[in-house]
Amino acid sequence: MTVGQGNVVDATDAFAQQQLQQHLQAAIQGNVQAYQHIYQKYVGQVYALSLRLTGDAALAEDATQEVFVQVWQKLENFSHKSQFSTWLHSVTANVTISYMRKQRGWFHRMFGLESANEQQITASESLDLSQLDKCILKLPERARQVFVLHAIEGYRHEDIADMLNMAAGTSKAQFHRARQLLQEWLGDDDQ
Amino acid sequence: MTTNKSQDSLQQQLQSLPNSVQPNRDLWQGIELAITEQPSIAGKSKPRSWMYGAVAASILVPAVAVWLSMSDLSGPAVTGLDSAAVIAQLSEQYESQKSSLLVTYQDKPALTDNWQAQLTELEDAAAAIKSALKHDPNNVALLRMLQTVYQQQIDLIERVHAPKWQQI
Repeated sequence: MTVGQGNVVDATDAFAQQQLQQHLQAAIQGNVQAYQHIYQKYVGQVYALSLRLTGDAALAEDATQEVFVQVWQKLENFSHKSQFSTWLHSVTANVTISYMRKQRGWFHRMFGLESANEQQITASESLDLSQLDKCILKLPERARQVFVLHAIEGYRHEDIADMLNMAAGTSKAQFHRARQLLQEWLGDDDQ
Repeated sequence: MTTNKSQDSLQQQLQSLPNSVQPNRDLWQGIELAITEQPSIAGKSKPRSWMYGAVAASILVPAVAVWLSMSDLSGPAVTGLDSAAVIAQLSEQYESQKSSLLVTYQDKPALTDNWQAQLTELEDAAAAIKSALKHDPNNVALLRMLQTVYQQQIDLIERVHAPKWQQI
């Protein structure tokens, strides 16, 4: 990349950042249209993370809506010390896990079935997913959540343990299990 | 060697994993409805979740009372006749609550277009369970399923008309 191209990229980034700040400020003041711009910019990222955590397209849609409603309510809490996308990913992970817990808790209370947390992949076939994403959705729930949070989102096992109410050692074990399964499945696909 | 190769392959795929996946449907409509109905930014107003809670409680409390009376297995065994009466009472209470909710929300826009189809499916499920209960009136699992399907219908009506968005 030449120096000239680099300047253009920097300017584009700066402009996008400035636009985002304006939309954030307007949204904090209650401007729904500005918030829609933020939604359009980030819905793909939020949905991707929700989908990977839930393994269920429909549940991920519900969780994504809940994330954006809660972010709207909590925009003032965004401190600007980190990137907005970083804060948004953190909120998405927490809201989605909480949402899944509530869904599963309700199901368990009503039916008392151990299978209630088994993944139910719905409508994900129609999504344009990479081979790795397809395999991630097939992972057992705990292993999938740990893998997504650690390998994709970069959380430490200690933090994941807090988020998922498990021991750090369990998080590590689930991560290794997920990695082994993925390697096995991706290896099969290569052959 | 094979393990290293598969680890490398996984690592490569991880690095090229897309940051974004677009959902199959537009989610904004539901979000917009929720945030314009509950504008809680800067303390402009509190979410009216207590209202939904009150409605849910009014439905749930009688249903649970009926349910508890049914499921008290330590007492005398529920006869087929008793069970039928309890099911009829539960169904009557539920139908009354459902009608009341539908009247309440009749002028409110729904978040989805196909909620009535979903409601019909749940109603069909309830009918099938009630039919099974006629042959096996003391089947506790069936009774629980019936109560659950009833509650799912109430939840569906509430969810599509007044989503209970929660705090972080």
